[in-house]
Amino acid sequence: MKKLLVVDDESNIRRLYSQELSEEGYQVGTAASATEAVEKLTEDDYDLVVLDIKLKNESGLDLLQKIVKERHDMPVILCTAFSCYKDDFSTWLADGYVVKSSDTQELKDEIKRVLAKKSR
Amino acid sequence: MDWKCCWNKAEVTAEECPYITEGEEELYVSQKRRVVEKCLECPRFADDIRAMQEIGTPLADVLPYMISEIQEQKLQLQSMVSFLNSKTKEISFLHELSLVLQTSLDLDEVLSVALTAITSGKGFGMNRAFLLMTDKERKHLKGYLGIGPKNYEEAWRIWQEIDQNKASLTAMARNFLENKLSSEKAKFHDILEKISVPLGDHDHIFNRALRERKPILLTDAFHSQEVDARLARILEVDSFLVMPLISRNRRIGIIIADNCITHKPITTQDMQSLETFAFPVAFALERASLYERVQEDVDKLIAANRKLQEQQELIVRMEKMALVGRITSSIAHSIRNPLLVIGGFARSLLKNIENDDPKREYLESIVGEAKQLEDVLDEVLNYSDSLYPARDMWDVNQLVTTACDELAGRLEQHGITCASDLAPDLPMAYIDYKQMAFCIRSILTGSMDSSAGGSAIRIQTRLHKDEIVVEFTDTGKDFSPEAGEILSTPFATTMEPGNGIGLPVCRSILAKHGLPFDMESLPEGGIRYTIRLPTSKEEP
Repeated sequence: MKKLLVVDDESNIRRLYSQELSEEGYQVGTAASATEAVEKLTEDDYDLVVLDIKLKNESGLDLLQKIVKERHDMPVILCTAFSCYKDDFSTWLADGYVVKSSDTQELKDEIKRVLAKKSR
Repeated sequence: MDWKCCWNKAEVTAEECPYITEGEEELYVSQKRRVVEKCLECPRFADDIRAMQEIGTPLADVLPYMISEIQEQKLQLQSMVSFLNSKTKEISFLHELSLVLQTSLDLDEVLSVALTAITSGKGFGMNRAFLLMTDKERKHLKGYLGIGPKNYEEAWRIWQEIDQNKASLTAMARNFLENKLSSEKAKFHDILEKISVPLGDHDHIFNRALRERKPILLTDAFHSQEVDARLARILEVDSFLVMPLISRNRRIGIIIADNCITHKPITTQDMQSLETFAFPVAFALERASLYERVQEDVDKLIAANRKLQEQQELIVRMEKMALVGRITSSIAHSIRNPLLVIGGFARSLLKNIENDDPKREYLESIVGEAKQLEDVLDEVLNYSDSLYPARDMWDVNQLVTTACDELAGRLEQHGITCASDLAPDLPMAYIDYKQMAFCIRSILTGSMDSSAGGSAIRIQTRLHKDEIVVEFTDTGKDFSPEAGEILSTPFATTMEPGNGIGLPVCRSILAKHGLPFDMESLPEGGIRYTIRLPTSKEEP
């Protein structure tokens, strides 16, 4: 079973994604901050990180750079309310990009795509 | 004695003196005037003198001398009056001309007046005239305008027309300017093209006239050593006048005048009159062309000013819109998360609810409405994002200076000096300011991280063809071939030469712009990074 880490400062969103992604057959861990995410990534083996760009008092992009630098092979999907970041060079380091929506299908598809690419 | 002539009578009748004509009736009663104006030339008076000689009147022998002397004086007086009249006419012509020349600021009007004056019978009466003017770059004397008939038939028609119209010189010039200027330019286009000469051709007769500041009259142009026979062949005349136009030591141009139709010889007198005329013409031409240039500059300034105003207004408008955008964006983002939680959970619930459950309809409404609100938010956010154009014309030097200033503190900390050599007057580059600023900062940071304290980084900007080249040279470590390889792969990181992710992203940004990013190790140590930015909106 693939293990995902959802990083988002909104508890309701963490709950929603956990529920939706668990139903898809993933094992889902959550983190409310960058620090918590780093801890979890060190403690446990994850296959993919779903990361929000705007975290409370922190930038998801800083965490992205940290992950890319330290965990070269860890795929990251940015999941954000800001569609404008999609064309922004600072998000190009991520493996995927999804604009947050109440319909989680796009996120699920993107996770599938990235994991498939990784296992190839 | 009974005299044949009426010279001794105080008053006479028409029968007594048949030489008094209509309009001269006063002479019937004025003996003094009649004797001077009529009797001295009257054959009857000559008979009376002979009769006086026969009867031995003593004065009769000397009277013929006196009469012939008076007649001689009268003739001289008449010729002086006629000379004076012609000079008065010439002065009034020059006066009329100078009035027009002094008041006109229009180059074509001045030219029309000048060339009409040279070719009209009321003026200098030459058959044809050409004007060559020094071009703006002051490299060539260029044929500008020709005026006159091309052949005898045309000449005959034009001269008859002028004779019938009896227009003043100014009226003729105005008529020429309004109706004939462009057709005359076209008519003599071939000749005007052929007679243009470079100002550097010192031996050419036109340049000689300008150098010596004197008119040159050529009388046997086909065989003269003074002039290239080709010029005579182009003009098809063997006699013509070259008149330099000089104003305050500036070579304005030259006038060529000839009598190509009548072949009437050009006299020294003609040349002198034209020389007097050349000075005000040169002055008026210079003034008109300076005015034209000033007008062009004023127009450019007005246009620039208008553009500046428009841009200022645009900036104000954009700032206002950006503010509106920021507020909208902030509201939209704060609504978005709760909205997707509502919609998301409603979807979750919907999946586990029976089709006939009455709550299903409510949940479907929540899902539908939430989706619709999300779409509205998307539109609003996309609109506020579009307020910031991605690529535009930006000053690269300013970009480099800003990046250097931003990193000045860190450079100082590392003990690295940064010298910039920025080409002045660079055109604007067509780039995404934010992204290019990131690239420049990344390259500088990369250089800084791989350089040791005490080393130097040099940034140079220059224009090469239609690209702006920005070159960064450091004295840090070289990069290994592996690092070079990794650098060319987007999203890959390397610990050398810099240890950031900046350079690969920088390469990706430039690639997205369609621009090359060169890195080379220098033999003396260090790396040179080169980027080339477009100066126009056309795709490279």
